[in-house]
Amino acid sequence: MKRASRLSGSGITIGVILLVSLVLPFLPLGRWEAFALDTAQFAFLISALALSWDLLARTGQLSLAHGAFFGLGAYAAAVASPALGTIPALLVGVLVAALSSLLLGLATLRLHGMYFAIATLAFSEVMRTFVLKASFTGGSIGMIVPPAFGGSLPLGSYYLAVLTLSLAVGASLWVARSRLSYGMAATRQGEAVARVLGVPVVRVKLIAFLISSSLAGLAGGVYGMKTLFLSPYDAFSLGRAVEALVIPIFGGLYTTLGPLLGGIILVGLETYLRLVVKDGYLVVYGVILILTILFLPKGLMGLLTKRGGHA
Amino acid sequence: MELFLQTLINGLLVAGVYALVASGLALAVGVVGIVNFAHGEFLMVGAFVSYLMFTFAGLDPVISLGLAALVAFVVGAVSYYGLIRPILNAPELNQMLLTFGLSIALQNLALLMFGGDTRVVSPPYQAATVSFGGLSFGLVPLVSFLLSAGLLSGLYWFLGRTRLGFAVRAVSQNRLAPGLLGIEKEQIYLLAFGLSAALAGVAGVMLSVTLNASPTVGAAYTLKAFAIIVMAGLGNLRGVIPAAIILALAEAFVSTYIPGGGGWVEAVFFLVIFAALTWRSWRVR
Repeated sequence: MKRASRLSGSGITIGVILLVSLVLPFLPLGRWEAFALDTAQFAFLISALALSWDLLARTGQLSLAHGAFFGLGAYAAAVASPALGTIPALLVGVLVAALSSLLLGLATLRLHGMYFAIATLAFSEVMRTFVLKASFTGGSIGMIVPPAFGGSLPLGSYYLAVLTLSLAVGASLWVARSRLSYGMAATRQGEAVARVLGVPVVRVKLIAFLISSSLAGLAGGVYGMKTLFLSPYDAFSLGRAVEALVIPIFGGLYTTLGPLLGGIILVGLETYLRLVVKDGYLVVYGVILILTILFLPKGLMGLLTKRGGHA
Repeated sequence: MELFLQTLINGLLVAGVYALVASGLALAVGVVGIVNFAHGEFLMVGAFVSYLMFTFAGLDPVISLGLAALVAFVVGAVSYYGLIRPILNAPELNQMLLTFGLSIALQNLALLMFGGDTRVVSPPYQAATVSFGGLSFGLVPLVSFLLSAGLLSGLYWFLGRTRLGFAVRAVSQNRLAPGLLGIEKEQIYLLAFGLSAALAGVAGVMLSVTLNASPTVGAAYTLKAFAIIVMAGLGNLRGVIPAAIILALAEAFVSTYIPGGGGWVEAVFFLVIFAALTWRSWRVR
């Protein structure tokens, strides 16, 4: 009974957050409206990225490449969008991110988790180099991205961000309730044992990686249509990869509400810090990451559900 | 032919520093069992020690070597004691996240303190060259190579000939038995992690002259060191030297023979990792 009531509690919170995101443009915010919508849109996309990272973390794999999938999705969608239109271009972004994760996953997910983490870090570095060198991306100068739906809908990119967040939340909730979640948990807690129990470990990790990178690519694509300008230093910045993992850990690993709450809190904090300290704001993320791992391994959700076993 | 020989020698000289950095990382991974994403940041600490000593005390980088090793050892030991030790039994995901967090924190702390500029330590002999049989190479890379070779020999001697070295190897091979034999596992971990950082710190001093001292100087070397130890097998110290030579030569030849290769050099380490992992993953089945 207790478990059921707790689940519905977090379900209600998730519902409220999504509802507020839907009506936010119509609230009387006065002169703060543009700023609030912009920050909220950024928070939604980064939270979606964080949720996608968490999906893969449920199999015990550490991905340091989610910044790269985000950037790949952003660039692929931006390159495709003049020819194909907004929605197909976003799908191209998803496809590119998913394909690259498939290649990376086939080469590494059969091996020990350490190898995967190292390969993803290397992948994200090399992607930044590639985008800097390639000609069709505008190199280090950057490229201009056409607005969503040809600019005909002023709130178009905002609602695309809401849609992306909803998809990420949906995927996270769906995976948590599906049979896949047992395979993921078993893989995370002991790969050898999971294998003996008949869990197709490599396939579970690969499926999680594919869903996860697709969502990250989608978030990136919408991000490009929000900022209308992409540069390798922004789209592929280390900051994205760091946000993608600090948020779920701070909020609470392996949950849906955790990354959602964590994303809103930390993006708010980051928006403030960027105004104050500019370049070095990531130091705060590093410290939050260390402190959370040391003292609060279950994150905010661990605080909220103190008595409730593993959330 | 001359170009070929020159490229070969340049590559080999670089391999020395690579092997030094990667051996430190292999110690952390092999003995303590921690994938240390902050390894390059220990290198950065060494580079900044060299820069600060040179700029404010006028100390030659050669003299800074010992100090940098000491500072890096202390930073490594404190990191071990305060951060790594509490999570030795935590899930691997948490361990890797912690060292990644340490890397982010140190890198951006340096960014806040020193700004993003690259600073080069330029002693009078920085650009000196040595000519030998029609080939010429920089004095600093040559000395760095010899120093690295010396330090690595020392490391192998320590691990292969001394009682403390035996203890380190025992702990790396088995988690339980050394304790029963009276070896203090935690002290060995502390020593190995400090030593790992000290090796990186020394490499940092060399790079402060040949490359630069900047907050991000370590990040590239973390990746290169990972490429090397992935080739050698995680935690396998013996394979580090040949793997370092392979990576350094591959980079040297790409930069000489591939048109516009200067930029693609930064991608070589990834190809090496990817190839090594693909090969490994097919062999595993």
